[in-house]
Amino acid sequence: MTRHSLSLLLRNEPGALARIVVLFSSRGVDVESLSLAPAERGDLSRLDVVVDLQPGRTVVQLIKQLGRIVDVKSVVDRTHDEALELGA
Amino acid sequence: MDTTGAGALIKALEDVGCEVIFGMPGGAILPAYDPLYDSKIRHVLVRHEQGAGHAAQGYAQATGRVGVCMATSGPGATNLVTPLADAYMDSVPIVAITGQVNRSVIGTDAFQEADIRSITLPITKHSYQVHDPADIPRVIAEAFQLAASGRPGPVLVDLPKDVLATATTYTPVKPAAQPRPVLSPVQIRNAAQLIGSSKRPVFYVGGGVIRSGAAPELRKLAEKTGIPVVTTLMARGAFPDSHPLHLGMPGMHGTVPAVAALQRADLLIALGTRFDDRVTGLLPEFAPHAAVIHADIDPAEISKNRKADVGIVGDCRDVMAALSAVITRKTDLAGWWNYLGGLLATYPLGYDWPTDGALAPQYVIERISKLTGPEAIYTAGVGQHQMWAAQFVKYERPGSFINSGGAGTMGFAVPAAMGAQAGAPDRTVWAIDGDGCFQMTNQELATCAAEGIPIKVAIINNGNLGMVRQWQTLFYEGRYSNTRLGTHQRHPDFVKLADALGCVGLRCESQSEVDGTILEAMAVRDRPVVVDFVVGQDAQVWPMVAAGTGNDEIMAARGIRPLFDEEE
Repeated sequence: MTRHSLSLLLRNEPGALARIVVLFSSRGVDVESLSLAPAERGDLSRLDVVVDLQPGRTVVQLIKQLGRIVDVKSVVDRTHDEALELGA
Repeated sequence: MDTTGAGALIKALEDVGCEVIFGMPGGAILPAYDPLYDSKIRHVLVRHEQGAGHAAQGYAQATGRVGVCMATSGPGATNLVTPLADAYMDSVPIVAITGQVNRSVIGTDAFQEADIRSITLPITKHSYQVHDPADIPRVIAEAFQLAASGRPGPVLVDLPKDVLATATTYTPVKPAAQPRPVLSPVQIRNAAQLIGSSKRPVFYVGGGVIRSGAAPELRKLAEKTGIPVVTTLMARGAFPDSHPLHLGMPGMHGTVPAVAALQRADLLIALGTRFDDRVTGLLPEFAPHAAVIHADIDPAEISKNRKADVGIVGDCRDVMAALSAVITRKTDLAGWWNYLGGLLATYPLGYDWPTDGALAPQYVIERISKLTGPEAIYTAGVGQHQMWAAQFVKYERPGSFINSGGAGTMGFAVPAAMGAQAGAPDRTVWAIDGDGCFQMTNQELATCAAEGIPIKVAIINNGNLGMVRQWQTLFYEGRYSNTRLGTHQRHPDFVKLADALGCVGLRCESQSEVDGTILEAMAVRDRPVVVDFVVGQDAQVWPMVAAGTGNDEIMAARGIRPLFDEEE
């Protein structure tokens, strides 16, 4: 399993969060933590999620699959940023 | 224009160019059916909502336009789940419109309430539940555009009954055109370089080439380079079967030359295809010597199953036009063609006649193809007959073979043929079906009879769930658990059933009657025809790569493994 920290911007539309969570469950992605908060722009929300990927699955693939969701505006892999913040 | 939500829905559908809806009314969707009564849009009243969904798929694939199906809330909507899953897997542009209970009772387990949006989350490209009737024109315009643009797929629009009934004003909406992805010139150059230096390249062509309308560009590029072409199940017709560069279909039941070309290639040029397990076999053993160029409009497909050395995100039409522009000369492929030519000569598609005098199913399909020709549209269900339809019908043009590839939905053939015929009334449409599949959706023949949709159905009746029986023969020591359908004992009698459904029913049980029966079916133009072709129960689909094995173990026939035994 590899651990990744992703940050998404999504449109505040009904079902946007559900579609992301369903993608995780149907693609076998483990969710360690998940938090949703209003973004600076009122019509967007920011979703921070830490996921574990099964062997053979890449985070690039997951980011592309998340990017296909119409209500997802952007996806950033922050795994490396987080490591820097911790001074690792 | 002052109207209601329902009026806005129908007007919006007219404005996006919808010409036919396959559907069935019910409580929650009822308001939409009132303005539909006065609309120029044709409504085909199906007998089961699943039929509406598959018909929309057949229509979309026969015409290249967005197919539309409509159902009421609750069970009406849940009956659309299988077609939505099917359309999602095969990237078919359809819009499903469902009624929903009133806004005030959503979430209270009201009568005929189902949370269809949530149910279909993993099998739709996008979905809407409209809460303000003023949003309907925008939502319908967006839904059509989303379904058809990028990688096509199904979009669901859920409409609460009171939203349909509320007064509103109709304002036409034109959604901003979706730009096609801009190709990376670096990746095109890298791809051209790989193609120029390869000794054993092959075009591995998938359904995306058909969806993007890129068949002419494929032909041009193939002829310019002299590189062999294989067409997957979803791409049959993307490249003419009669073309000398065509090696046939790869995969579990592909031709030996097509499978060998992938296995022995030093370069795969994968176009609009997704390295499905039915094509790759055991993934680590797939095309072990090949570099991979993978072009797809969906970036999430590139390097999903097989790492691409050059990934190109783009529409296949643009990709091939760009490659054609930079590739200037043919590479010398004489050695490669020498090898492939040997396989083509040694391992053509073929079949044995049953020893008990029964009719060979492959012969029936071969004759239908021969007597009907490549201008017709062929649909198939799922199983042995589907594989034989992929192997023994000769396809020359895109959109001429419509089947359920990814989802493998039994019962697809009849409603898909209905939709295809509604969209292409001047073409002959043959549904090549199995006796198992046919019994799942044949109620739509009553629809066809009532609506004047004269499809032709060839039931390849082997009395069994043939593909499952084949696996029981090969892998379960002939223990035929629950695969005998009783259809050879006339449970049911398909000729009588056809008659009862308002169709012409014919039966054919011997080789000498095959041509005559097909011609008799072809002569019927005013109503659907069902032909019960009673064939032997032990015919098998060959070649075959057994599930869980590598493609090198392809068997041309039982026990004959040409690649495994070949000396390199």
